[in-house]
Amino acid sequence: MVFLILLVLTFSGCSKEKTSEVISETIYALGTVIDIQIYDENVDKAKKAIQESIERITEIENKMSVNKDISEVILINENAGENPVQVSEDTFYVLKKAKEYSKLSNGAFDLTIEPIVKLWGIGTEDARVPEKEEITSLLNLVNYEDLKLDESTNKVQLNKKGQAIDLGGIAKGYAGDEIKRILLENDINTAFINLGGNVVTLGTKVDGSSWRIGIQNPLGDRGNYIAVLEVVDKTVVTSGNYERYFIEDGKRYHHIINPKTGYPAEEGIISSTIVTDKSIDADALSTSVYVLGLEKGMELIESLDNVDAVIITEDKNVYITEGLKETFNIVDDSFILAN
Amino acid sequence: MKKGDKIVGLIIIILITISLLFLGIYRFINKGDKLIAKIIQDQEVIKVIDLDKVEEPKEWTIENEEGHHNTIRVEKGRIRFIEADCPDLVCVNSGWLSKPGDIAVCIPNKILIRIEGKDDEVDQISY
Repeated sequence: MVFLILLVLTFSGCSKEKTSEVISETIYALGTVIDIQIYDENVDKAKKAIQESIERITEIENKMSVNKDISEVILINENAGENPVQVSEDTFYVLKKAKEYSKLSNGAFDLTIEPIVKLWGIGTEDARVPEKEEITSLLNLVNYEDLKLDESTNKVQLNKKGQAIDLGGIAKGYAGDEIKRILLENDINTAFINLGGNVVTLGTKVDGSSWRIGIQNPLGDRGNYIAVLEVVDKTVVTSGNYERYFIEDGKRYHHIINPKTGYPAEEGIISSTIVTDKSIDADALSTSVYVLGLEKGMELIESLDNVDAVIITEDKNVYITEGLKETFNIVDDSFILAN
Repeated sequence: MKKGDKIVGLIIIILITISLLFLGIYRFINKGDKLIAKIIQDQEVIKVIDLDKVEEPKEWTIENEEGHHNTIRVEKGRIRFIEADCPDLVCVNSGWLSKPGDIAVCIPNKILIRIEGKDDEVDQISY
């Protein structure tokens, strides 16, 4: 009899998997590649949700990009030191979040970093090491407190001329949250989204098990991971010095600029990963931790509820928060779990 | 044990053997041993390569409408970008792709190489 039950279970297991189709889509937007993968028996429903997601991403990009002819963010930057600019609820929300995290991280993440980012031009044809004087002269423009947000009118203004904001460090996270919301509203409960390395998961896998997320080896080729993290319904966002960089005179300059110094952050961290519920939070926090360094970064994460982190330092030591002890496994022996 | 029980037992054992056999065949067919690389330009698949069937290494250059180019090299079991005129060279720095799920992307030139299927060990990689 036990055998018979086993037999039935085996078959029902198979048929359940078969009714769930995989519907996927790849989109180029927000300066990256966005992958959406949905597991659902209703293909039409999934396709509709993907279509709505694409429209939403385009909307976000049109409002928040600095690489377009026009956007709300560009308008804010052009009117810096002059006029307040009325923005949409979307942009206002993201600006508010970005300012909150600038404050929380004590300026390690700063949404007004754009003048310095532009000066370095990392990831563009004009990437170069600026003169020290150039950096110092622009550093006083970097100050998140100079962004005035008027909650009652949704008007936004930067205090000084020349100041500029860049939501690149947080808009991808917001887009991830919005896609997740749209999928859930369409009654989709099993899916993952990958926005240029920012992973967002919905529920568990089809078989009820956790999603297995690899943490990129910061010293290896893309796709080579050092550890596996098991998550359910969470987002996993990593910041690393390997994403965008250039080499000049044998020295490597990466794209995560420390707003305090104006130079790429060199605090001993080569990769920081955040695991939490909202991707917008994870996006801002992964940058913050990277810039803050191990000790202060850990302190920040531990002060927050429901946020976990994986930090890899340049000596290949890996540090994780208490909440990940059960679900985190190193698979590359050259990295050592240090705590 | 009665004779009837034995027959039932035998039938069950035969059924299990057959089902396991089918399961084995199913798994074997679906194992995805094939390494299929897809080259996607501006969201359109422009080339599909069975990496296991590549005999001679080959290099070629793909140009986009704006005149930008990426050079791809393929060898048995692996593929990569070797040269490009994009500013960040993220595509070239991605190195060799040789496992299901591996991906290399050139955002400026909107070209992407991806190996079909999924990594057995992980569902996604956070980078």
